Amino acid sequence: MILEVDGLQIHYSTRAGVVRAVDGASFAVPEGRIVGLVGESGCGKTTAVRAIMGVLAENGRRAGGRVVFKGQAIDEVATRKLLWRDIAYVPQSAMSSLDPVYTVGAQLVEVLTKRGNASRRAARTRAAELFDLVGLSESRLSDYPHQFSGGMRQRAAIAMALALKPSLLLADEPVTALDVIVQRQILDMLRALQQRLGLSMVLVTHDISVVAYLCDDVVVMYAGQVIESGPVREVLARPRHPYTMGLRNAFPDLMSDALELVPIGGSPPDLSDPPPGCRFAPRCPFVLAACTTSAALIADGGKQTHASACLRDDEADSLRKAAMDPATWQRSSNFAMS
Amino acid sequence: MKLVLDRFAHNALALLAVTTILFFMFRLMPGTPLAAFINENLNADQQQAMLEQFGLDRPMWQQYFIYLGNLLQGEFGLSFFQRRPVLNILLEVLPNSLILTLASLIIAYIFGVLAGAWLAWRRGSWIERVAVPAVLATRAAPEFWIGMVLLALLSFNAGWFPSGGASSPGLAYTNNWQRIVSWDYLHHLALPVLTLALYLQGLPLLLMRSNMLEVMHEEFVTMARMKGFSEWRIVIHHAARNALLPVVTAFALGVGLSMGGNVVIETVFSWPGIGRLLVQAVSVHDYPLAQGAFLMIALVLALMNFVADLLYMVLDPRVSHGRKG
Amino acid sequence: MAERAEPVLPTRTGWPLLLVLRRMAAMPLRDPFAFTGLLIYVLFVLVALFADQLAPLDPLEILFTKAGKLAANVAPSADFPLGTTNLGRDIYAQLVHGTRSALAVGLSAAIIVAIVGTVVGLVAGYFGGMADAVLMRIADMALSLPFLPFVIVLTGFLGASTSNIVFAVALLLWPNSARVIRSQVLTLRERAYVEAARVTGASSWRILFVHIAPNILPLSFVYAAIAIGWAIITEASVNFLGFGDSTSVSWGMMLQDAFSSQALSRGQYAWFVPPGVCIILVVVAGFFISRGYEEVFMPRLRGR
Repeated sequence: MILEVDGLQIHYSTRAGVVRAVDGASFAVPEGRIVGLVGESGCGKTTAVRAIMGVLAENGRRAGGRVVFKGQAIDEVATRKLLWRDIAYVPQSAMSSLDPVYTVGAQLVEVLTKRGNASRRAARTRAAELFDLVGLSESRLSDYPHQFSGGMRQRAAIAMALALKPSLLLADEPVTALDVIVQRQILDMLRALQQRLGLSMVLVTHDISVVAYLCDDVVVMYAGQVIESGPVREVLARPRHPYTMGLRNAFPDLMSDALELVPIGGSPPDLSDPPPGCRFAPRCPFVLAACTTSAALIADGGKQTHASACLRDDEADSLRKAAMDPATWQRSSNFAMS
Repeated sequence: MKLVLDRFAHNALALLAVTTILFFMFRLMPGTPLAAFINENLNADQQQAMLEQFGLDRPMWQQYFIYLGNLLQGEFGLSFFQRRPVLNILLEVLPNSLILTLASLIIAYIFGVLAGAWLAWRRGSWIERVAVPAVLATRAAPEFWIGMVLLALLSFNAGWFPSGGASSPGLAYTNNWQRIVSWDYLHHLALPVLTLALYLQGLPLLLMRSNMLEVMHEEFVTMARMKGFSEWRIVIHHAARNALLPVVTAFALGVGLSMGGNVVIETVFSWPGIGRLLVQAVSVHDYPLAQGAFLMIALVLALMNFVADLLYMVLDPRVSHGRKG
Repeated sequence: MAERAEPVLPTRTGWPLLLVLRRMAAMPLRDPFAFTGLLIYVLFVLVALFADQLAPLDPLEILFTKAGKLAANVAPSADFPLGTTNLGRDIYAQLVHGTRSALAVGLSAAIIVAIVGTVVGLVAGYFGGMADAVLMRIADMALSLPFLPFVIVLTGFLGASTSNIVFAVALLLWPNSARVIRSQVLTLRERAYVEAARVTGASSWRILFVHIAPNILPLSFVYAAIAIGWAIITEASVNFLGFGDSTSVSWGMMLQDAFSSQALSRGQYAWFVPPGVCIILVVVAGFFISRGYEEVFMPRLRGR
């Protein structure tokens, strides 16, 4: 495992109280694999990933848990040595992630010389190589960020991330802001790069189709916690957590013919005052009394092959059948509304 | 570039509007229209010459164009009381005003930028809570009052600085440049500049501080953190460089605004500049001189507005380099 | 995610006038500086109202000592808390009574700026087109006039009555207010509830006054508060330069008087320091209040 996250907790102090944005998330990234971190907005996936890079808002702090990279623990302020040299980040919106007053080439050279100990000449050569790697023309190095189109900016951001030859790439919704055709291109490029360079990747997204297309493993987050993880084919074909089952219904089925779209009723809990027990309980069609008092978190640093944080995990197969029937969700949606 | 021409036209038109307003204002003054340009101090021949030069016996709209034509040739008329061409008088005192303005602004901005950036870095501390209202107080005080207090304390009381004027009586210089770089001149310049700088520093300080606070929350600064750059590089090379942009344009605008605002400072310190000239001319109703001084100030204002526009275009790559797609 | 400043402008239904007014009244309670500013204003208003009681001596009356000599430049004492002027006038009385003219100038200028700026901003922003173009051109022209020189020329030639000064100040301050309000109106115009009102057949005027105007009220306030300060300083400057009415009692005239009577060289701090301090207090109060409204009603990026 190149990255292990164990019981991570990120809390924000706000005027409304303490918001537990990430509250006990555990997952692992095997070396050389692409792990998709998926969940709806506000589930804590971006927060978790940025926290690994040591970036938190002013009012945030790491309240618990461990992050281990290549066997070494990363403290709250991600050990500066590792930043960008071992772990790099691909942002969601590449436009605002580059300094508008310097050319993209200059910013690449900056990283290569200041963080990579290259000479200016070597850095310029390498910058051209990086652009070539992501399919951008070398002449573009002297352009400013605002002169790039959306897809090209994303490529530049990826080039920037790969500059110091990291072993782990954390990509935060890298294709969300792009149109479908460009999305495909970028995803294909990521796959090619990953194979060629032997990278490990964490891909944060809310779009299951992206996960299905690109990832080897998937980690599903809900309300600040990891509720299911495992190989992507396995989890999507045979989900074991009711939330994942519901998610799958909410997206057109990718592996078989499309069934009707069935949304999950209700909405995620308020993270400043989360419900005791399982956080999905208010919306779950299979909820038991026990679910509202005790939660089954994924233990073991997420090293199990296919783990699910559900008390009724052993009944997963029969629950899954019921989940495929829209009526199940109808009932729970009424229930969730009350 | 088209943008440059556009801004030039805009500012030129503004200046034209000002001169037009001035034209009508002076013609509506109490007294006969002729009083605006001629008065009894001039003899009959001179009066006749003035009449013809300014076409004062012609219809209003013709006068207007003669007026504009004269201005473009630098013909501002004759001062009533000094009996000399207004333009000459103006050009004599213009350097004094420019030096006062530039020296004060440079000091104020250097201080303001550094202090503002520092305060932004010290966000949330008690220093910030005290400093910001204190700076607002400096902007709330009338410039001339600050000047009066400093004058009383440092000149009359402590005797460190002269109490007015730009030079001590009895000193002669070979040329203007010698005069300006002389110790005596600088000694006289010190208090006015100190006063003005004290008053002016508030703007760049607060502006830089608020810009820094905004920029520090931008995504690219967070990214710079993630790349592991040193705090120094993040704050100076990235944040400050972005935050400075509006400050630079403010500086250019400040020069233009200051020329007009210096009126009171020049009066307190008897500093022989354009502002003081304007005040004197208005009090004795020396219309041509007053008009000339006003126009010169307006000209500098329009010019600096244009310079500010240019600076903005040049310094912000988002404007100077178009989209390529 | 990081804490965000609450967006204050409404998204769906707009705010009725009452709600806006309530919010505006509540703002000083949250912001200690704005509250201080408000206190200062209240204090000065009280002083202005009770000037006669607070300073029984006539500020313009020339006083004599018991021995019959002119009570000129008397040091601060029990009889004259701040001493007397060159001409034997009570400085303290002048200071107290000066409050009246300061507030009068400040408030009248503020009201004019608020009204003109708001109306122009509303009309230009809402109706757009020719009206907008013309109004903004006029605003540009007003902005290209050097401020103090213009006031000087105007008062120097037309006479230095308070109303001339107020007029000149208002003439030059309304453009900023109008511009900002106009851009706010442009944003509001596109909001859903305005569209909804239009669709249901509400007349333009109704939309303007019922839906849009209340939402820019705080902005008018911001610029009015700023205008008070500017007007007072400008009036003081004009008076200081000698273009004022020498029979009027104002802080600016006090400073002019002190300056021309060589109070500086005599070190008569009690004469020229207090008027300046008063000006600072009133202007700073305006700054604090306008900043308070700015923070609440003009949403900015997080982290402020």
